Parts: sequence; C-alpha cells; structure tokens
Amino acid sequence: MKVTAGSLESSDCFITISKSDTLVIDIESVVFEQFGDDILKVISDTLNSHKITKLHVLCQDKGALDYTVKSRLETAIKRMGENHE
Amino acid sequence: MGQNISITKPLINSIDELFGFIDMNENKNLSFHHHLRNGDGVINYVLQHYITKGITGLNLYPSSIFPAYTSILTLLKNQQINNITTNYCNGSVATYISENGLPGTFTMQTHGGRARSIQEGLSKIDIAFIAAPYVNIYGDAIGYDGKNCFGSMGYAVVDSEYAKITVLVTDTIVDEPISNPEILGKNVDYILKVDSIGDNSGIVSGTTEITKNPIGVKIAKNTSRLLHELGLIKNGFSFQSGAGGVSLRVTKDVKEIMKEQHIKASFFSGGITKYHVDMLEEGLVDELFDVQCFDLEAAHSLKRNKNHHAISASTYANPTNPAQVIKDLDVVILGATEIDLNFNVNVTTDSHQTIIGGSGGHSDTASEAKVSVIVSPLIKGRLCVIKERVTTITTLGKNVDCLVTERGIAINPLRQDLIEKLKDSKLKICTIEELLEKAYHYTNKPKNMIKREQIIGEIEDRTHDIIDYLYQK
Amino acid sequence: MSRSYLFIPGNTPNMIQNLDVFESDAVIIDFEDSVMSYDKDAARILIKNFLQKFHEQVGNIYIRINDVENSNFESDVNDTKDLHIAGYVLPKASVEAVNTLYKICNGLDIIPIIESPLALLESQKIAASKGVVGLLFGAEDFTKEMGIERTLEAKELLYPRSHIAVVCKAYNIEAIDTPYTAKDDETGLEQDAIAAKQLGFTAKALIHPNQVDAINRIFAPSPEEILQAKRIIKKSEESQKGAFSLDGKMIDLPIIEKAKKVLEKAQKYGL
Repeated sequence: MKVTAGSLESSDCFITISKSDTLVIDIESVVFEQFGDDILKVISDTLNSHKITKLHVLCQDKGALDYTVKSRLETAIKRMGENHE
Repeated sequence: MGQNISITKPLINSIDELFGFIDMNENKNLSFHHHLRNGDGVINYVLQHYITKGITGLNLYPSSIFPAYTSILTLLKNQQINNITTNYCNGSVATYISENGLPGTFTMQTHGGRARSIQEGLSKIDIAFIAAPYVNIYGDAIGYDGKNCFGSMGYAVVDSEYAKITVLVTDTIVDEPISNPEILGKNVDYILKVDSIGDNSGIVSGTTEITKNPIGVKIAKNTSRLLHELGLIKNGFSFQSGAGGVSLRVTKDVKEIMKEQHIKASFFSGGITKYHVDMLEEGLVDELFDVQCFDLEAAHSLKRNKNHHAISASTYANPTNPAQVIKDLDVVILGATEIDLNFNVNVTTDSHQTIIGGSGGHSDTASEAKVSVIVSPLIKGRLCVIKERVTTITTLGKNVDCLVTERGIAINPLRQDLIEKLKDSKLKICTIEELLEKAYHYTNKPKNMIKREQIIGEIEDRTHDIIDYLYQK
Repeated sequence: MSRSYLFIPGNTPNMIQNLDVFESDAVIIDFEDSVMSYDKDAARILIKNFLQKFHEQVGNIYIRINDVENSNFESDVNDTKDLHIAGYVLPKASVEAVNTLYKICNGLDIIPIIESPLALLESQKIAASKGVVGLLFGAEDFTKEMGIERTLEAKELLYPRSHIAVVCKAYNIEAIDTPYTAKDDETGLEQDAIAAKQLGFTAKALIHPNQVDAINRIFAPSPEEILQAKRIIKKSEESQKGAFSLDGKMIDLPIIEKAKKVLEKAQKYGL
C-alpha cells in the first residue's frame, strides 16, 4: 500500500511511503548536491521520533524547507495509520 | 554626414554561389549577431554549409548564442570549432561547452567589450554574416522594417565596419534609398538573398512581461522606494531596466512616481520594450537609446518615433568610445543568478556550473551607471541568491552598489555616500552578511560543491581583464 | 488594531514561508476554502511545524478554521491553539458557533465572518459574544445566499456593510471589510477600500499580497489627519480645559479622544 502527501509545486515535496522489510530512503531533489544530507537527516529524525525502523520513503523534493519535508512525511505517516508514538 | 556614392552590391542567390566568391578555408573567423534571438534562421542556414563542407578550425564570434542555434552544437560535436567568443550563451551549446570545453578558448565578453575588441583588432572577423530585415541594392540596411523586422541592429554595426568581408543576409531587398541606415552600404560586400531570415516573433522571450508574482512585486516596490529615497528619480534622470519581469515592474513603479511628481527623464537605454516606448509616447522620457528591441512593439516604434534611436553596441557601451551612452546613465536595474559577500555578481552559470547566460551589458552598465541595483529574490526554491563566493564572476563587486531583495536591501560598503543618505530610511537596510544569515535561517547552509579543476573558458571584462574562469562541471 | 488582514492558503509552503514579507498587519492562514478536503490534515501539520520553527518572525496570525459543522473543526482548533497565534477567523458564524469555538479555544481572539442574512441580523449578539474582537464581512457568500449578483460597484453591499460597521463601533471591536476580488484592478480596489473606510470599517481583508500596500495606506491616518490630531492634542494640553476652540471649531472630549487614537495608529504604523 502506498500513501502520499505533499505536492510537486516549487518549495514543496511529494512524499510516498510504503511498507518494507527494511528502512529505505530515496531522495530526488532539485537541490540534492546542496541539501541532500539535510533532507536525509530530517527524514531520519522524523522516522526516529515516530519509532519507525522499517519503511520505504520516497521524497521528491522541489526545494522544500526542512519544516515542509517533516510535515509531508508526518502527514503520510499519519495517513498510513502507522504512528507508533 | 555626406551622401555616400551609391554602388549596387553583388546580389547572391544561394550560399553555394556565395562561396564561389569567398574562400571558406581562408576565412574561418565568422561573426553573427543575435537580434533575432531564438527566432534566428541565418546562423543555422550559414553554418549548415560549413557542416556539409566539413571545414575545421573555425572561430566563431556570435554576439550571443541561443538554444535555437543548434548548428553550433553539431559543429562542436564534429570537432570543427576551435574558439568561440560570445557575450551570452544558453541552451544545448552552453551545456555542451560546460561539460566538454573547446579545443581552443571559450571567451565570454560584454556587449561593450566585444565592440571594443573588434575595433581594436583583438577580435579579427573574416566574414560577418548579418541577418538584415530590410536592405536596398546599395547594401544599406535597417532593422525596423521588412517582414522580419526586429528593431535595432546595434550588435552588428561594428562587425560590418571591421570585418574583412561583410555579407548581408536578407529576405527583403528594395531599390529605394534608405535614410539613416544602421548598416552602411560602404561597409557591405555581398547581399545574400534567402527566403526567410527567421521568425521575428522569436525576439520576445518569456520574461518580457511585468511580473505579478507577489515576491517580485515586493522587490520592485522596495527598489522604487530605494531609488526615490536616494533622490535618483528627478527631472532629467536616466535609467536602464532591461526586460526582466521584476525590472519591468520597477519601471512601472518608477513611472507612477514620475507621474505623481511631474518628473521627466532624459533617456532610457539598452534593451527596449513596449513599456519604455509607452513612456516615450506619454512624454515621460525624452529619448530612447536602443541597442536591442525585446518585442515587436519596440521595433515598430523605431520607425515611427524620431526620439527612439537605434544605436550600435559601441555607442552603447564601448568604454573607449567618447560617445558611449551609458557613461551618462544614472541608474541601472540588473538581475543576478548569484551575488557574493563582495558583491560580485554571476549571471553566467548556474550553481551546478552549467553555463546559462552571460554578461551581455551587465558588467558594462554596472561599471558606468552612477548607481547599479541588483534585484533578486533572496531565496529561490531553497537556494539563497547570496553566496560566500559566486560560482562565476560576471560583474565585479566594486561596480555593484545595491542588492534589493524581498527581505531587505544591502548596500555595498564601498558606497558610504549611499549608506549615509539612507541612515534614517524606513527601508530594511542591512549588510549583505545579515541578509545571508536571514536566508540561512530558512534554508540552512548549503554544501559547497563547486569544482575548480579544469578551466574551460574565461570571463573577459570590458577592460580586457580576465576577471574569472569557467570550469568544467 | 490592524489595517490589513491577508489570507494565505494553508497548504502552500511557498506562500506560508513568505507570509511576513508582504507587510500586512495581520495574516489569516486559511484552512477552509483554499485547502482541498483531503488535504486538511496536511495543512494542520504544515502550519504546526512552520509556526513552531519560525514563530519569532511573524506577528499577528489568525487561522481561518473550518466551520463548526465541518468534521475538521475540532482538529483545526485543537492542533493549533497552543501555537503562537492571535486567534481564529470563524466562517459561517452564528452566536451558537462562536460560543462553541470559545469553549475550546483557550481564550484566543475570535473574528466571526458575517456571511449570511441571518448572521447579519444577529451580528449584534455575535459582536457581544465572549472572545470576539472584530467582525469580518464575507460578501461573496452573503450575496450568494441573498440570491443577488455581487458587482464591483458594490451598491448591493451598502446595507450589510453599514450595519456591520455600526455594530462594530457600538461594541468597540474591529470592523473588517470583505476582500476585493478583482486582484489586478488597483483603482477598483482603492475605491472599494475608501468606500468601506467611509462607512466606518477599520480594516480590510485581502486575498492577494499585491493589495497590501493600498489597503495599509487607505486605512492609515492621512498626513493631514495626523497633523490636525497633533494640533488638537497640543492645544488641549495647553488649555487644560475639556472644551476649547481651534480654527473657529469647537473641540470637545470625543474629538480629543479621536485625535489620540489617530496618533496612536500613526505611531503604530510608523507614520
């Protein structure tokens, strides 16, 4: 089952999550070279705070700031009903 | 100016026929102008012949390179080109050069610097192929008439004067004399008749509209307030704004201030649009000095308005030309892809080191205008326009005075006079470092990924100084 | 005391993160019409994270929540009431709806939208309800419910506007006029705003950032008003009397109070 949140508008990102046996984070970003590490950290931190260790996360980023990446991922997690908090 | 003795020029009907007169192997330095911008048909038409004949060791001097000039890409891939000297480069040719470089040197000049180099013999043009919309049998030409009129022929004038061989390429030939021609018949050797020199609707680029984007509107408003507070909008002032959406919005806001306070400007220069023409026709400005038309309304105005003058690139911006128009320029509004803490501006490459543009008149006008203002969003997507060091220096920071963004205005510390004038201002004046901090608060600090290993080109200022290099991405 | 209330769509990051750029006195982040029903949760989470990170940048923020009948109403309030916001803008207001919101909103400000004939008739009671700091006129829905066409001339709005302005003045709360919807018509916007100010509105809501400057200018005291207020205050301090004459006109306490308000506004807006 795939769950999505966000959009492909400028300054937003589109997050797709699906169940997985491992933790897989894929990032496609227009600013990957400059901010790829930051995006990965936000995603990891958000998953950690929700105690999620197994998930496939695809982040298609259009220059979203950290708060947006975090929000879209939280929305997707909430929608999946996997909030382990 | 005395009447030249009119001699009819050899009329050539095909490119094959032309090279019956000219030795292709003896004349490999070729120049073109870019007035038809992405609608140009002449560059590809001429260079296709060089592709077919397999001539190698070519040196090209186009005033700019647009995405449509795909024949240059073919020549590059075929290893037929040695050197390219140009003022602006965008599209597949730019991407190819960014990745591969040239066998020789890729030199990026300014509009004024190109004119100067040709005049001083540093750029030696063998054949100038000049797309000309309206030509008579004596070789006189203008750009603002004919079915493919594009307005001023400013960038081609110096080429016609100094090239060993000048070829007018046209789709409109008349028998009548032309008064005040831009290209003089005495400088012309051949007239090459073609079905079409291109599509003149291509001279309009996507950005030649007043922006309605709220961030752009805010930047423009900050800019016109800044100019007003600096006392620059006053009777007889001169102004250049180009055709960017934000710059045009600045022009609109300045116009409002002028109307409100009954102020009349002396001249607008550079690239001219319908908005500038409107102001001329409304009596808000005395004269337009037009080196390039950005839309067809401007091109048509040249024919109808006697105070709308087509000028050559040398008259526009050549620093050694005593008649240089921009030396009297009060204010220029310019864009930036990047600007750094020393106010150096980059409009040549993107942050991935791909060539996406070039100076054009950026460095020329920033150097000469009394106040040069860079307008840009502080944050674009997630990238801050301010860098610690720009990827490529197009215009030296010492020539850049103000940066106006949606979140504040930074004044170059070299301009203490401006800072002094603004000390009681209600505008958000701050240092460029403070602006950068503001941006990082939102974006975080980006990782620096510029590679400076293999040089693929050089940035030559109008002074002939090499002010930076282009590096392979 | 704000002149302009700018609506910003609640699920659009590139507008949200620039909401302080446009210089409107107050911002209304919208969870209602500009957010699709399937994205209401996304907007709440986005705004929560935005305001937690950037609250120091931004001043006067209201949230237009979904109306009390809407299934998102409670979450809209519960997920945001601990954030740094000034309060809520409540659509489809009624006395009952305002009371429902008041019970759960931790004493934050409430600005009900008067957008139906019934709401207009009970606007006096709404204005008197706990938590209410101003009324916002919603002409779009109001004219729809009336079954009349909304025109740019706005003659059909004269009565409801006058009514709301009087009610607000009577209860000493902010009277906020309806947005002007032709976003590129600058002249129309100015005329519309001046008309509203003339009826007694203290502010105007707006739907496009490019309208902020005109609204701020029109709802601020003019240089002439400020000068006159300064003269009145000066003379009142000198004369030490409750009433005196200035330029042959009688100045009494209400006029002095009004002058004080003008100067207060002028100072707030840096004029």
